[in-house]
Amino acid sequence: MSPEASGHRGAASLSRRGVLRAGMAGAGALAVPGLLSACGGGGAQPVPQLSPGQDPWRRFEGTTINFISENTAPTAAIAANLKPFTDLTGINLQIVNLELSALVQRVALDMASGDARYQVIYADPYQVLAPYSAGLVDLREFIEDDTYPPLEGGLQDFIPTQLTAAGKFEQKDPVYTLPYDCPTMIWQYRADLFDKYGQRMAHELGFDPTPGLDRSWDEYLAIAKWFNDNVNEVPYGTGHQAKQHDSLMCDFSNVLWAYGGDYFEAGDKVGLLGVTDPGKCVLGSEQGIAAAAFYDELLKVAHPASRTWDWDGVGAALRAGQIAMCPNWHEFAASNEQALPGLISYAPLPHGPARAAHMYGGTGIGIAANSSGAARGAAWLFVNWATAPKTQLSNLASKAGGGTPTRTSVYEMPEVVAAEKRPSAMPNMLTADAVTVAWEENNIGLRPKIPMWNACDTSIFTGLSKMIAGQQTPEETMTSVAGRFDRIVGRGWQA
Amino acid sequence: MSSSPTTGTDADATRRPPAGPTQTRRGNRGITFTGKLLAPGVALLALLSILPFFALIAMSFSHVRLLGGVRLEWAGLNNWTRVLTDPDMWASWLRTAIFLVLTLGLEMVLGLGIALALQRIFRGRGLLLSLVLLPMFVAPVIVGLLGRYMTDSTFGLYAWVLQRLGFQGDILGSPTTAFAAVVLMDVWEWTPLITLITLAGLTSVNPSVLEAAALDGAGYWKSLRHVVLPSMSSILLVALLIRAMDAVRYYDIIFVTTNGGPADATKIIPIRLFENAFRFFDLGYAAAIGLMMLVVTILIAKAFVSVLGSKELTR
Repeated sequence: MSPEASGHRGAASLSRRGVLRAGMAGAGALAVPGLLSACGGGGAQPVPQLSPGQDPWRRFEGTTINFISENTAPTAAIAANLKPFTDLTGINLQIVNLELSALVQRVALDMASGDARYQVIYADPYQVLAPYSAGLVDLREFIEDDTYPPLEGGLQDFIPTQLTAAGKFEQKDPVYTLPYDCPTMIWQYRADLFDKYGQRMAHELGFDPTPGLDRSWDEYLAIAKWFNDNVNEVPYGTGHQAKQHDSLMCDFSNVLWAYGGDYFEAGDKVGLLGVTDPGKCVLGSEQGIAAAAFYDELLKVAHPASRTWDWDGVGAALRAGQIAMCPNWHEFAASNEQALPGLISYAPLPHGPARAAHMYGGTGIGIAANSSGAARGAAWLFVNWATAPKTQLSNLASKAGGGTPTRTSVYEMPEVVAAEKRPSAMPNMLTADAVTVAWEENNIGLRPKIPMWNACDTSIFTGLSKMIAGQQTPEETMTSVAGRFDRIVGRGWQA
Repeated sequence: MSSSPTTGTDADATRRPPAGPTQTRRGNRGITFTGKLLAPGVALLALLSILPFFALIAMSFSHVRLLGGVRLEWAGLNNWTRVLTDPDMWASWLRTAIFLVLTLGLEMVLGLGIALALQRIFRGRGLLLSLVLLPMFVAPVIVGLLGRYMTDSTFGLYAWVLQRLGFQGDILGSPTTAFAAVVLMDVWEWTPLITLITLAGLTSVNPSVLEAAALDGAGYWKSLRHVVLPSMSSILLVALLIRAMDAVRYYDIIFVTTNGGPADATKIIPIRLFENAFRFFDLGYAAAIGLMMLVVTILIAKAFVSVLGSKELTR
C-alpha cells in the first residue's frame, strides 16, 4: 500500500493525538449534561375527557398500563384472575412482580427517566413513598373528580392507621397511595405442641404458656428454652428472621418498642405520617440497649439458622417442623394452613416492660406522577378496582395468594367473619383476632417513615447482625448505630 | 532485532521525505488507513465506555438527583472525602483483598494440581476434562443458589455432612464460615478455568527439555519445579490476571447467598457499591467507589503486565 493510499496527509491532516483530545473533550461535554439529562421524559399528555353518556369504567378502553409490584399475596391473587378487571374496563394490565429491593430500584430509575413505564406502583411507605413522594400523584385528583367511578366506601372505609401509614407522607391531606396490603407481625406457633405440653410447661415454668398479649418477652424466651430442652418433635423452640437483611430490623423492632425504646425522639409522628428531618436518634437510650441485650439473649436460644433466615426462611422453618414458634407476618397463614392444616395458631406478640408492639409492613399502591394521557386515568381505575372491597374479598379466597384486606367493610362481611374459624376458605382470616389487637393504636409498631430509611435500615440490621455474631456488645451496637443514624439524617435528603 | 516488530506506519515513514523545519515528528503521525478502518469501532467504544466513564467522574463530584430527570448538583470533594475516610469502606477493601488472595491462591494451586493430574491420564481424559470444566459453565447466580441450598442447615447436604462431623451451627450464619463458604463457591466455579489454561500451557513445554532433565537425573518434582513451571509461568500469570480482575468485581454469588452478611463478613467492595447505588440511591458516592474499583483493577492489571513484560524481556 502506498503512503497516499494509507491516508497520510501530512501536517494538514488530523493528528491521532488531536482526534483523541477532541474525542475526550467531546465525550466530557456530552457525558455530563447530555448523557444524564437525556434521561428526562417527554411531554405530558392530558387525560382524555369523559364523553357524554360513556360508562366511566370504560372510558380508557384499549389502553395498556403496567403495574410494578412486590411479589406479594394480593398481587399473586390479582394476577391469577385479571379477567374481572379487563371485562369491567377494557384496559390491558401488565404486571411486573419483583422482590422488594429490585422493585425499589426499578421505580427509582423509572422516576428518573421521566417516562413512567410503570404507571401503577406498589409504593412501600419506607422505601418508595417517603423518598419519592414527589414522584407520586396525589390521588385526590381522581377521588374528587366526578367523571371517575366513585371510590366505594370512600377513604374512611380504609383502616385509618393504615391509610396514614401507607398512604401519606409529611402532610395530612395529600393521599399518595391507597392501602393495598397490611402484613403485620404476630406470634405464630404450633398449637398441637402447646396443647400437648401446655400443662407440663405451665407446671415447670410457673406460668400459663398460652401465647398472647399476657405473655412477656421473658416468658417467650423461657418457653423457647423449654422447647429446646424437652421436646423431640421440633429441634428448637423459636426461630427468627435474623439474616443481615431488612427482616432483622423488623424482628428486632417488636422487642425495641416493647422495651420502651424507639428510633427517634418523636417516634409516633415519625412512624405514622413521616418526616424528612426526624431529629436525634434515641437508639442508644437505656431502653434501646436493654432491648438489644434481650434480643441477643433470644437469638442465643433460637434455631442457629435464624441468622440466615429472612421472613420466608423462618416461615418455611415453621412449616418444616424446625421450630415451635416465631414472630412473623400474618399473611403467611395461608401457606401455613396448606402445609400443616390446623396445626398452627396465631396470637398477638408478647409484651415488654413498656407495651406490646407489632411491626406493621403494609403497603399502598399509587400512580407515577410522570404518567399522562389515558394511561394516567387508566392507572387510577386499576387502583380503585384493586383496593375495592369486592376485589379484596375475592383475593382473600384466592388459591393463588390470599390477600390481607385493608378495608373495615371487608372484615365485617359475614363470609369473612365466618372464615375466622376453621375450617376456613380464607386461611389468612385465621389471624383476624391477633391482627385486630395488633392494629390497636397502643399495639401497632411503625418504623420511621423517613426518606433516608434505606440507609438507616441497613445500619441497624448490620449492627444487630454484628451483635448476634458476638462481635459487639448490645451497648456498643446501639451507641454506634445511633451515631450512624445521626450522620445519615444529618446529610439530609433531596430526591 | 527490535523488541517490537516494525509496523507498516514505521516502514512508510522511512520512505517519506524528511520533515521540514516547522514540521515536528509528532505532526507527521496522521490517521493512517488502518486508523480510519478502526475509527467506527473506536467511536462505538467511546459511546459505550468513554462517555459513561466521564459521566461517572462527573457523578463522583456531584449529588445525583433523580426526580424530574437525572441532574447533577456540584458536591465538590464531598463524596471522595466520605469514601476515603469511611472506616467501613476500608474494612470492605481489606475483606476484598483477603478474598482475592484466598480465591486466587486456592484456584491456582487446585487448578495446577488438577491439570497436572489430567496430563498424566490418557484413558478417559476427555470425559474427565468435561466433568472438571462443568462448573465453569454454570451462571454465578446459579452457583450461589446451589451453594445456599447445599449449606442450608435444615436440608443442605454439606451442612448435614458437617453436622455429622460435629459442626454445630449454620454455615452461612457465622462470619468465618460464611466467608469461607463464598470463597469456596468461587473456587469451585473458577478452578476449572485455571485448569484449562494450565493444560494448554503444559502442552507448550518443550519435551526435549524434559527428556534432557530426566537424563540429568531430575525426578518428577524437580522437573516440575525447574522446567515445567518456569516454562509456563507467563501463561499462569495471564490466568492469574484474568481471575484477579474478575475477583475484584465478584458480586453474584455473595448477593444470592449472604448479601454481605452476617455481620458484614462478606461485604466486599462490589456489594457495598451496589448497596450505595441501588439501595440508598447515593449515586455520587457510589460513583466514587466505582472509580476506586477501576483504579485498583488497573493497578492490579498493570502489576501483572509489568511482571509479564519483565519476564519476556529476560528471555
